[in-house]
Amino acid sequence: MAAEGVRKEPKSADNPILWVARPMATAARQFGKSLIRPSTIVYPFERLEDPQFREEVAVAAGKPIGVGAVWDNYRGVHALNVATCISCNLCAFSCPDLCIDMVTVPGGDPKHPKKCPEIDYGKCSYCGFCSDACPEGCLTMTTRYELSTAKRSEMVYSPAKLYEVFQRKLPMNPVRIELPENEDAILLDPPLCIGCNACSRDCPTQCITMIDIPKVGPKPGEKPAKRIWKEPVINDSDCVRCGTCISVCPKECLFWGSRT
Amino acid sequence: MSEMWINMGPQHPMTHGLWNLRVHVDGEMVLDVDPEMGYLHRGIEKISEDRHYNEVVTLMDRCCYVAGLAWEHLYILSAEQALGIRPPERAEWIRVMSEEFQRLGSHLMWYAAFVQDIGLMAPFLYGMRDRDLVLDLFQSYTGARMTYEYMRVGGVRNDLPNGFTDQSRKVCDWLIDRFEEYDRLCLASAIFHKRCDGLGKMSRADCVAYGVTGPMLRSAGSKRDLRKDRPYSAYDRVEFDVATADGADVTARYLVRMEEMRQSVRIIRQALDWLDKNPGPVMAARVPRWLGAPYAPIGNEGYLLKRNYPKGLGLSAIEEPHGEAQAYIVNDGGEHPYRVKFRSPVFANISAAKKYLVGYRIADIPPIMGSVDVCVGECDR
Repeated sequence: MAAEGVRKEPKSADNPILWVARPMATAARQFGKSLIRPSTIVYPFERLEDPQFREEVAVAAGKPIGVGAVWDNYRGVHALNVATCISCNLCAFSCPDLCIDMVTVPGGDPKHPKKCPEIDYGKCSYCGFCSDACPEGCLTMTTRYELSTAKRSEMVYSPAKLYEVFQRKLPMNPVRIELPENEDAILLDPPLCIGCNACSRDCPTQCITMIDIPKVGPKPGEKPAKRIWKEPVINDSDCVRCGTCISVCPKECLFWGSRT
Repeated sequence: MSEMWINMGPQHPMTHGLWNLRVHVDGEMVLDVDPEMGYLHRGIEKISEDRHYNEVVTLMDRCCYVAGLAWEHLYILSAEQALGIRPPERAEWIRVMSEEFQRLGSHLMWYAAFVQDIGLMAPFLYGMRDRDLVLDLFQSYTGARMTYEYMRVGGVRNDLPNGFTDQSRKVCDWLIDRFEEYDRLCLASAIFHKRCDGLGKMSRADCVAYGVTGPMLRSAGSKRDLRKDRPYSAYDRVEFDVATADGADVTARYLVRMEEMRQSVRIIRQALDWLDKNPGPVMAARVPRWLGAPYAPIGNEGYLLKRNYPKGLGLSAIEEPHGEAQAYIVNDGGEHPYRVKFRSPVFANISAAKKYLVGYRIADIPPIMGSVDVCVGECDR
């Protein structure tokens, strides 16, 4: 019946009792094993993330591997180190579910308010794109997974609440994306620039400096352009490619591109 | 009034998801069937047009919820072709290993659901227990148990953690023993053969005519397997046999899937050996920044138009656990794909239901549909 490459069916015994007895014996053996070493855990009392418990439980249940080694990479609730956050918006931009809002937290000066992510776990899909995008490594994912609340509003974690998670020193997802060598940078379209200083003012890493450029008078017959004779220069090594400068530019003269 | 139409579904233990099988019956006999899909349609293809190339990966996990990594692999192969990026070799081997582990996970899930359909409860528990080990391995290197978000354009998100290959080998050895146990529970059982032998016959010519692929086609004697016929990633460098059988019935599909799981373990062992010997980068060196670039800020979308990036088309086909899946991506040089189209094997397999259900009894429908291995998530997308 079976073709080559497929195992033959086990030889059926002539005695019809064996047709039922053999499967029953297999199941009975498993049942006997489960009486001594159950495969399941009693969840609220036994927890996989408990370091004293997690190495023993799986091996004791007869499984080939323990669960301790698999646990540390888990992507759960975020931890935010508010102190090192540079308000670059990259986490909010990279979120596919749009569940991150940047809210003002104390600590900034009036001209540059400090903004940190506020995460709505009702929407979050735990994809980890935000922690991959974070250039400072201050937004990471921890192994915490218990989130149930009675109110929806409690699913929204403010920066202060995320900082509490950070202070618990849970094991954080240590695996971070290997950032590729960046091909693209932020480029300037010089004729459009009016030198308004908006990009330099809002850059979270202060990597944009405004330099003086030579004044060129209007051609005869043209109206003189409204222009401050300055132009931004972006330091590529400090730039985290957050795109804040592009979004604040009133003349759309900054854009993504390759320098070569 | 001796004949009537009855609805099996959308909420029925046989459907394994949300779809409806309308059955025209005369007493016990099935005269006609009419499958109705679409209850789980989420518009994944349309949503993809509004996502960056990497962000579509999050949708692929929801596309087929038991074979997420296989669908990520499918999408990423197509996207890399459209964008003109080549991944490093190590990433390709990790993807092959991931896809085979995913095949194990998907087939174990199928085994658990299928034996429950024919009334065997104990093997269901064993199948789910052993699938959990595969999920543990996924959690150890992707960080999640079902929604992995692991593959990226140009490679994979991260390298394997320390000690992963040793643990995987232990799991492989353990699973090989379990397959013997499954055969003792099912193939040696009179109940199994009485429920399954000679049911749901679909000839090879019918399979080809209706576009039915995967284990259903191979159970009819065909040797069609895209991993052999049109190798992608590193499949041309691994040794394995294509599992076939020639009953074309439910038992033959069981045999094919069991053999496929053994072959998957064989492929995984070769991949683990290669990964042990060849450390290296898992991400292409030069990937354009805009793959992870932020959304266009509100009110300032115009700047995206100034970009001038290469255009291209991507078409990929892989042997997914359920059959042959295809993805087609049009890249018009924008931030997002212009159009994404997927071909789901399950849709074709269910659509041919008239061919393999008519003429049997109504109590035969659960085992037959169980042997088709329905995943409604990818069928409706």
